[in-house]
Amino acid sequence: MIGLLLAALFAQTAAAAPAPAAALPKPLAALADGKHKDGTPILTQKQRDTLAALPERTIKLLSDAADSMILGSPEELAALLSLDVQPQVLDLIATDNCVLCHADPMNQKPKALFSPDPKAAGSNPLLNLRELVSDVHFRAGLSCAGCHGGKPSDDVMPKEIATRWPAEEVRHTDRSWIPEFCARCHSDTQFMRGFNPTLPTDQLAKYKTSKHGELLLEKHDNNAAQCVSCHSVHGIRSAKSRNSTVHPQKVPETCGKCHADPEHMKGYLTSAGAPLPTDQVEKYKKSVHGQALLVKGDLGAPSCTGCHGSHAAQPPEVASVSQVCRRCHAQNGMLFDSSRHKKAFEEHKWPECGQCHGHHDIQKPTVSLIGNTTDTLCGKCHAENSKDNPKCNETAKHFRTTLDEMIAGREEVSGEVEHLAEMGLDIEPVTRSLSDLDEAVTQSKAKVHSFSMSTFDAAAKPGTEALQKSRQEIGEAHNEFQFRRRGLVGAIVFMMLLVAGIGLKLRELERSRKDSDKP
Amino acid sequence: MPTNDTEPVRTRRSLLDLLLGVGFIGFAASALYPVLRYLKPMASAGPGGPLKLTADEVGKLAKEHSIITRLGTGRVLVFEDAQQNLRALDARCTHEGCTVQYVPGDSVIWCACHNGRYDLDGRVLAGPPPRPLALYGCTRDPDGSVTIQPPKKGES
Amino acid sequence: MSVDTSNIAKEGGGVFGWLDRRYGLTPLVEFMKHKEVPVGVHSMFWYYLGGATLFFFMMQVCTGSLLLLFYQAGESTSYESIRFITTKVPFGWLVRSMHCWSAHLMIISLVTHMFSTMMLKAYRPPREMTWVTGFILLSLALGFGFSGYLLPWNELAFFATAVGTDSMKAVPGIGDFLLQVLRGGTDVSINTLHRFFGLHVVILPLVMVGLVTAHLLVIQRQGMAPPQGHKTAPKGMRFFPDFALRDLQLWLMCLIVLASLAVFLPYGPHIPGIEWELGKKANPLAPAYPGIKPEWYFLWIYQLLKEFPAHFLGMEGSQAAVLLVGLLMGAWAMMPWLDRRAQRDEASPGFTDIGAATLIFLGFLLFKAWDIGGGGIGDKLPDPVLTARICAFWWLGIASVATALRATVLHQRYFLFTAATALQIALHGLLGMQYLAAGGIALVALVIGLLVLRSRGQAVPEVRS
Repeated sequence: MIGLLLAALFAQTAAAAPAPAAALPKPLAALADGKHKDGTPILTQKQRDTLAALPERTIKLLSDAADSMILGSPEELAALLSLDVQPQVLDLIATDNCVLCHADPMNQKPKALFSPDPKAAGSNPLLNLRELVSDVHFRAGLSCAGCHGGKPSDDVMPKEIATRWPAEEVRHTDRSWIPEFCARCHSDTQFMRGFNPTLPTDQLAKYKTSKHGELLLEKHDNNAAQCVSCHSVHGIRSAKSRNSTVHPQKVPETCGKCHADPEHMKGYLTSAGAPLPTDQVEKYKKSVHGQALLVKGDLGAPSCTGCHGSHAAQPPEVASVSQVCRRCHAQNGMLFDSSRHKKAFEEHKWPECGQCHGHHDIQKPTVSLIGNTTDTLCGKCHAENSKDNPKCNETAKHFRTTLDEMIAGREEVSGEVEHLAEMGLDIEPVTRSLSDLDEAVTQSKAKVHSFSMSTFDAAAKPGTEALQKSRQEIGEAHNEFQFRRRGLVGAIVFMMLLVAGIGLKLRELERSRKDSDKP
Repeated sequence: MPTNDTEPVRTRRSLLDLLLGVGFIGFAASALYPVLRYLKPMASAGPGGPLKLTADEVGKLAKEHSIITRLGTGRVLVFEDAQQNLRALDARCTHEGCTVQYVPGDSVIWCACHNGRYDLDGRVLAGPPPRPLALYGCTRDPDGSVTIQPPKKGES
Repeated sequence: MSVDTSNIAKEGGGVFGWLDRRYGLTPLVEFMKHKEVPVGVHSMFWYYLGGATLFFFMMQVCTGSLLLLFYQAGESTSYESIRFITTKVPFGWLVRSMHCWSAHLMIISLVTHMFSTMMLKAYRPPREMTWVTGFILLSLALGFGFSGYLLPWNELAFFATAVGTDSMKAVPGIGDFLLQVLRGGTDVSINTLHRFFGLHVVILPLVMVGLVTAHLLVIQRQGMAPPQGHKTAPKGMRFFPDFALRDLQLWLMCLIVLASLAVFLPYGPHIPGIEWELGKKANPLAPAYPGIKPEWYFLWIYQLLKEFPAHFLGMEGSQAAVLLVGLLMGAWAMMPWLDRRAQRDEASPGFTDIGAATLIFLGFLLFKAWDIGGGGIGDKLPDPVLTARICAFWWLGIASVATALRATVLHQRYFLFTAATALQIALHGLLGMQYLAAGGIALVALVIGLLVLRSRGQAVPEVRS
């Protein structure tokens, strides 16, 4: 199909005679000069300029379409030009009779009209021309026919349109045919290789294992998400495109369309039998991952799919949730595995990471979690589950005091640094020590996951040393300033002496002059 | 002039000269001292520049295949690859600024914080780092000493 | 110091004798011995300001030479070397801080010196050339400040220079040429730095030293100006040693002030245009940020440029502003010839008032440029109307106090120019009129006032047309 299309394109490009740039071919010129009933031109000046700037090839294709009356009205030409797309996309449109016919507001009922602004045109919101022309399938030359049947070159809509789909009465009431329909191509490795060889072809297989797939395919529950629920219908874009509904930064919103809607989620239960919550997206947005992805723009941070998977979306089970975290937090995972908590957590059947850090609402962990008092996470849990273990409490206390000391010390020192910088002192050594300290704080916070005093201390030691060093450097800077002040005072004293001496000398000079004047 | 007047005048005059002398010498000293200190060349003059590893660091490098050292205000990871070529990379992970480490077994540079991985030229292999690590120049001189050169174009 | 040198000269002994026999120094010594400084009517203070300026200039030469030993002009060295000087070199911070402070103090004492000369009419014949050389010295000092500002190659300097040199293109006819010559290209770049460096350490110092010598020579030749109205010099003070020793005392005091400021405020008092914290290195591709201001002595021009609309009297606004500044500066340089009463050694209260009015005019613009009272904190931009109002309060207050003092203590009776300036400030700041419109109205009022005074036959400052 593509080959044919390209061949047609080349043939037409080769055939296009060098025409004067200013003059449009007759059929197109007739459309371009179309006027409203009141005599005002239908094409705006901007659209006219866009038209004039199009390459010859595109003009020729549009003109051919106008000649065969498929590009049927000035209004349609205006709509196409208002899309502001590259000429190559216009070429695709101009050779696709489906689009040409369905985008003509003069020949098409609103119900079946593709318009750049469906709301204004009164048509179905799915029939958005702007979306359609940026659809990855359309751009790849698949055209409407790829899904609906028929051929883009057909002048009249053939009978076989939509015959690949279930009958109209069924297809809207039971959506379970959709995954299979998309999979006709997307599970065909041979076919997909011709478009995007790196794209996986296991989506359907995965989908069947997902909660969504289970509900839709087995229970025929139309509420369950299928392909178009997430990828949209006529505006499907690559996940790398920022406008895609499955771009990492858009995923929370896309999942939230259903999962944040209490009405939609009514009646669904967790594996424990409780009603499924609908506040995950809201929690996620406030979490450290949500902030990193949505606010800082760190595309490496996980969205919903980072933990749940996309096509195989499932809540991770207790056994696997910590493996999911370890994909990024590998070091902490390893430390935890070799700690004594590993066994204890297994006995309690607790999810490892989530037990302390939460899941959707994970916050940047602070030292306030650590400690032996019951207002801390460690202390509270140990008081409830592991009462007679003074050594644990001691360790927790040690973690907390060491970290507190480093953090408070940093605060104190950095407050001084600013002041010293203003006084013109060299703060480079201190900032260097402080960056060492920061690194040690990060490292020792991670080493908390070993729950071992010696492992923690090995990481914290450079930190306490750096803190000490920075304090010493601050002291040195203070001394330096003291030295400057003292030196200044000394110099001023000498200068004042000199000033006073000169003053006395002047007085004496005048007195002796008076004396010598007397006789 | 009566003789009894001359004595106090003379004392006063010599006192005044003493005052002027002390004042002048003190002033001259306090003005000259900073100037002389300023002029005396320093041990390592000049801003920034290449760094020579200390003997300790070279020893540690031979033993552990990698070390982390300071260059200016930054941290540099110096390591020996499987072919025993020396390489040097900015040690600060481009994701959140943690210090990266060399994993000789996998021939990768690894950041423990979020599992970022780089190849030995600093290019991102996996994980969240947005940019590659800056590549430093690193040469082993015939006498065995190691010199690290900052990247050609300094980051702003 | 009180050794009688003429005796040694006669005996021909010692180093002086040796030199005297070869170069005939005795007349010079005689000249120095008899040189006198007139004792002022009110105060001797004004006679010391030239000396203080000279002192600060010498400090600039000393500290500048020291800085030159470490400074390396260049894209990747300028900023780094200044950073190195202030953080690593022993007492480098002191040298840079004193160089910066001394620069500002030199301009302050220079401007004060100039205004005292103006108020005392010391420019009257035969000392016109002293005034003119002094005026050129002021321009050179401003050139020093402008070229030196860029040398650390930091962000602040970069943008201030970009804005400052840009006004050059408003000079009619040769503006573009001047701009390119100054910048060494169409944009501020490292070429500009090299040009400014050459200007700052070779060209300007050479010219400056020559002109300072000329300035001092004409003063030595003619003696210092006696107070007005004294045809014969009144009681004088011996220049050497009496005046010279007092000068030395003042210099020491200046040094004390300079050193203290340098130690306690090493980066300046943190007022826009009087600060030199190194900050970030210049990046020619970075976008400009708000709050970029030139040094304080250029702020009145900067503000005047802002007051002009895009087009004014058929010219571009900035062209008109540059023209106005040129006219004002030109008139200032021609002061000895404009003031015809002073030429006849008559009292010329009108020009005294012009001096006072000029101070108020410049002060108001300076305050506006600082956005005083505009409430611009953090991201909030200052409100220009509010700024104008608060600055007007300030300067109307200062003007009334100054006028009251002049009337009661100095018994002056001529305030027409001060009144016109105050009128402009009031119209602009209190009634919210455009700065230029208010200026126009004040100018008309001034002309009417001058005509009225002339018709009444009162003291009108005669200005040659």
